[in-house]
Amino acid sequence: MNLFRSGEHIQRWLAGRDPGATIAVEKLSELAHAWWEDRLSPGWRPHTRDGNQAILDRLGFAGDFWCLPGS
Amino acid sequence: MNDNDLALRNLTYARFVELGRAPTADEVAVVGGCDRTEVMAGWERLHAEHALVLGQAGSIRMANPFSGVPTAYRVQAGGRWWYGNCAWDAFGICAALHQDGRIEASCPDCGQSMQIAVRGQRPDDASLLFHCLVPAARWWDDIVFT
Repeated sequence: MNLFRSGEHIQRWLAGRDPGATIAVEKLSELAHAWWEDRLSPGWRPHTRDGNQAILDRLGFAGDFWCLPGS
Repeated sequence: MNDNDLALRNLTYARFVELGRAPTADEVAVVGGCDRTEVMAGWERLHAEHALVLGQAGSIRMANPFSGVPTAYRVQAGGRWWYGNCAWDAFGICAALHQDGRIEASCPDCGQSMQIAVRGQRPDDASLLFHCLVPAARWWDDIVFT
């Protein structure tokens, strides 16, 4: 899960491997804040699979690539 | 996750933030009023539940989003420097601390340094791209590679 300067840099880095998913860094920040914002809360409880999937779905991370295991 | 393991998990995370690095089992045992063996056994259960990730010799490799070892993603937030496990976790450190921050990394392709300020949950350089190689269904097959 890496940051790159551009799509060209991703393609070169892949070196022929099948690509995964590419998203804008602003969207990554949005996802990270939704995913991790409760991590140090005294009332933290483990996220459920469905709860995490709901975060992905709500932010538009659709398709098989973003489908968590156990569905 | 039972209440004891939840308390151990929260204590471990709190100690991580207090110290600015991964705590040892002895350090958690002192504040938890238990012995090292109990901490290690609890950490093993938390590892199995993906609540943290142990490395070799039972040390904390990841308390996501924080990394217990140096990585390519350094984050300045809350008056300290941290390591994120990946780009996602680097932003996650700002999120977990509820702080603005600064991320320092380098492009895995060309090696050029990248500095990103995070203010109000937004990065100041919108030109960068995030690539996730492994599908979500396989993230935990090898979480360090992911």
